[in-house]
Amino acid sequence: MADKAEVQVKREKLFSKKNLKNITEPLSNNNPITFQVLGICSALAVTVQIRTALVMSLAVISVLCLSNLTISMLRKRIPSKIRIIVELAVVATLVILVDQILKAFLYNISKQLSVFVGLIITNCIILGRAEAYALQNKPWPSLLDGLGNGLGYGWILMVIATGREILGSGTFLGYSIIPESLYNAGYENMGLMVLAPGAFILLGLLVWLQRTLNKTISE
Amino acid sequence: MHSTAYTFRFAIYVTLVCSVLLAAAATVLKPRQVENQLLEMKKNILVSVDIRPQEGESFTRELIQAKYDQYIKGLVINENGEILPDRDPGTLDPKKEPGLFGIYERIEDGDIKAYVFPVSGKGLWSTIYGYLALAPDMNTVVGITFYQHGETPGLGGEIEKDWFTSNFVGKKIRNDQGEIVSINVVKGKVDPNSPEAYHQVDGISGSTLTGRGVTNFLKSELKKYEPFMQAHLQIKKGEING
Repeated sequence: MADKAEVQVKREKLFSKKNLKNITEPLSNNNPITFQVLGICSALAVTVQIRTALVMSLAVISVLCLSNLTISMLRKRIPSKIRIIVELAVVATLVILVDQILKAFLYNISKQLSVFVGLIITNCIILGRAEAYALQNKPWPSLLDGLGNGLGYGWILMVIATGREILGSGTFLGYSIIPESLYNAGYENMGLMVLAPGAFILLGLLVWLQRTLNKTISE
Repeated sequence: MHSTAYTFRFAIYVTLVCSVLLAAAATVLKPRQVENQLLEMKKNILVSVDIRPQEGESFTRELIQAKYDQYIKGLVINENGEILPDRDPGTLDPKKEPGLFGIYERIEDGDIKAYVFPVSGKGLWSTIYGYLALAPDMNTVVGITFYQHGETPGLGGEIEKDWFTSNFVGKKIRNDQGEIVSINVVKGKVDPNSPEAYHQVDGISGSTLTGRGVTNFLKSELKKYEPFMQAHLQIKKGEING
């Protein structure tokens, strides 16, 4: 099975600088959400509460790693004419698996995520990484690329969800954190934050922050 | 470049592998998923009659099952309010038999403490499902739960939270003449001095339409069970008069 190119990889260090970059780049400069602007729809939809955002992130990370890995392993065999359809079939299979497992073992959370787990199939990050990276690269770097992009997606989701849950519902992971006295003094939860525009505003602020901190990103 | 024959072969292999994988996963996980749905239902029935885990305990699968077996008895009734013996609400498919309803009794020491009626209807975005528990006078609300809905989390989605559902406890669904007026979700706070306050609960700010949906379907659902409620009320009255 393994051709010469595969053997070469074994000699290269598993965590060489180049491979590690696959993980670190998408966390900051090349973040799938704030820089590549992929996967926005789900970033808006599931970030009302931290818990759903966390499970969604884990689901995306696992699907992304496995799809990158599978497609990279098949990359020499996939006929280029039907490659997109094959990628979709692989991704769809993985997503349905995740959905079924959530329904069986994390029923409450799967109820809250409802349709959004199924919609991971349409998450641009997954097909984007399969097309742009896994099809040209070996399995191990592809797996790392999937992990990096999944984590990059995940931490942005967590930041937005934390902001939205605290400002919108006054809770953190479901526990009230805003003291009663503040409510008595006239403080109110910001209703806007539980709606999609709240996510847009927070996301916009994040993109702004990233571009201010990192001058190398060209306009 | 791959040949057309290869492309077809590849496509067939991929399809086969994917379908076998999914079929296997679905078959293996199905029983647990069905059980989850049933347990979720049972949990909500229990919560609607205020049977909850003790402080510091959580509702495990075993605890739900044990409490359900201990306190709840399921009945199947028809449109005329007659009980169909030998039927179990768990096996009832409302799509196939729209005229039959599964209801539940909370039993303690041989006495019926409450009746639990399934209620469902349109909210703003989705169909809301829940259970309404009434005391044996068929008037006082013992509790209500909403367990399945697609309302906006944080707004209409708050209907499933305790702070909203606990407002229903102790409210009356009938007026002095015994007619069903149901419970209305008002906009804003209930005026405690209003004579209607017995039939009203506080609304959720930002979710007037979800509240209106709840108001509407509660009334129509209660009317559905009215024959059953009347039949069981009359028995009570008869006992008192006799």
